[in-house]
Amino acid sequence: MIRRPRVPAPEDFTAPSHSPLVAARLGLWLGVAFGLCFGTGLLSHYIQHPPGWFTWPTRPVDLYRITQGVHVLSGVAAIPLLLAKLWSVYPRLFVRPPLRQPIRLPAHALERISVLVLVCAAFFELVTGLFNVAQSYPWGFFFPTAHYAVAWLVAGAVLLHVAVKLPIARAALHTPLRRRRAAARDDRDSSERRAFLRTSAGVAGLAVLATAGVTVPWLRRVSPLAWRSAAGPQGIPINRTAAAARIVVPPDWRLEIVWPGGRHTMSLAELAALPQRTAELPIACVEGWSASAHWTGVPVVQLLRWAGAPTGRPVRFTSLETDGLYAASTLPAAHATDPLTLLALRINGEQLSADHGYPCRLIAASRPGVLQTKWVARLEVLR
Amino acid sequence: MRAVRLLLFVVGAAATAYGGWLLLPQLATTLPWLIGGPVLHDVLVAPLVGLAGLTLGRLVTDRLRRAWIAAGLLASVTLLLIAVPLLWRPPSAPPNPGLPDRDYPLGLAVGLAVVWAVIVIVLVVATTVKRGVTDRRTDRP
Repeated sequence: MIRRPRVPAPEDFTAPSHSPLVAARLGLWLGVAFGLCFGTGLLSHYIQHPPGWFTWPTRPVDLYRITQGVHVLSGVAAIPLLLAKLWSVYPRLFVRPPLRQPIRLPAHALERISVLVLVCAAFFELVTGLFNVAQSYPWGFFFPTAHYAVAWLVAGAVLLHVAVKLPIARAALHTPLRRRRAAARDDRDSSERRAFLRTSAGVAGLAVLATAGVTVPWLRRVSPLAWRSAAGPQGIPINRTAAAARIVVPPDWRLEIVWPGGRHTMSLAELAALPQRTAELPIACVEGWSASAHWTGVPVVQLLRWAGAPTGRPVRFTSLETDGLYAASTLPAAHATDPLTLLALRINGEQLSADHGYPCRLIAASRPGVLQTKWVARLEVLR
Repeated sequence: MRAVRLLLFVVGAAATAYGGWLLLPQLATTLPWLIGGPVLHDVLVAPLVGLAGLTLGRLVTDRLRRAWIAAGLLASVTLLLIAVPLLWRPPSAPPNPGLPDRDYPLGLAVGLAVVWAVIVIVLVVATTVKRGVTDRRTDRP
């Protein structure tokens, strides 16, 4: 018998892994992973670009470390789950449009378009996110805004997809995978379905284990593909060096504190002479890696009081860095009054090195690392 | 269920439209990266997976062994994919002196070795147990 090559039809795929029972369960798991990723990503976006109604707590001090760790690890877990899900529904790619029933065409088109948007956007988010944690940007767009915009595409397309598939998915999820008193053939299929699901879940777990060391201290030595170690000069890794930021600390450096109707400047020696406080706080980066250190410096709220500036208001920190996106950050009022928020002069008992932000840097609880401004030159109390 | 589906549809359409509107200024540069994923998957990755599955089915007839080898392959591909941005830094990416700070090829090699060592151990143990069971059964008169 000679078979002529042709475009396959969904019926040609007979493996048990293509069953809706498998696709629905993988879809549910993937929905949970994407949901966690979207929720924590949205939080991170709002912390960096807070709308008026948004507030972010200062406790627990590890809160951002946890939410951003969940963000990157749920994204990592979604990689094998997405591949397994796409393999499970691959036969559906070859469904022919119902040309003979024009009344069903719009529903078919809607399903196709929503799935296309979903798959495009899901791949985009996972690929760009993975390159971003390695701080590699082999593309022409600006990562944070593109990653944020496409996240809304994923969220919307997932909801559309669930709207289309809800009856099938509900029926599939209510059908148990293991059937009692089944025929031998059916029994073999159901055991292969369960094996496929177990493999998918197991590999998702393995992917998390292989990378979770970026943020979970006891997995540091276990995860072979954690993109950062927790080691670095003075005990903490450095993302942006003083050379990369082109920092030159002028010999007559003075910290400038300004507020509506007042101004005060002070030298490093005067800062060091003020009452110091030591706090253990994490640097938690948007890339998901985090590490804790003991920081010593002047609590910002005490510094403002000592200078005679008003407290209980947001404070803008400006760096010596002249270009670069993170040359300045605004500390919300809640963090500016937190006694643990320090203008740090020392790290783990040593004076800050140039790469860690000498002469002084901001360190506050539960905030992204990019907002912990280094090489601080100016504090401005806002209205 | 009709009301739930309608609600999902309305919220989903609104979120998609919002995302599209946000993406509009960068559409030209993001479009290749948006289309690339599904095209690469549907034309290249999925057929290769199918081919690998068929080949594995021909070569390995024992179902347990086949399931574990398939799991090992999926695990290896996942680890390789996660490692790509760590192993390959395109020249267009700006150099970062603080990064990278670990031996990623070694990490990947160790990860793959552990995965396959576990699979070999599981299969050897499973085969031994199975043989023991069949031996005991055939020993009985």
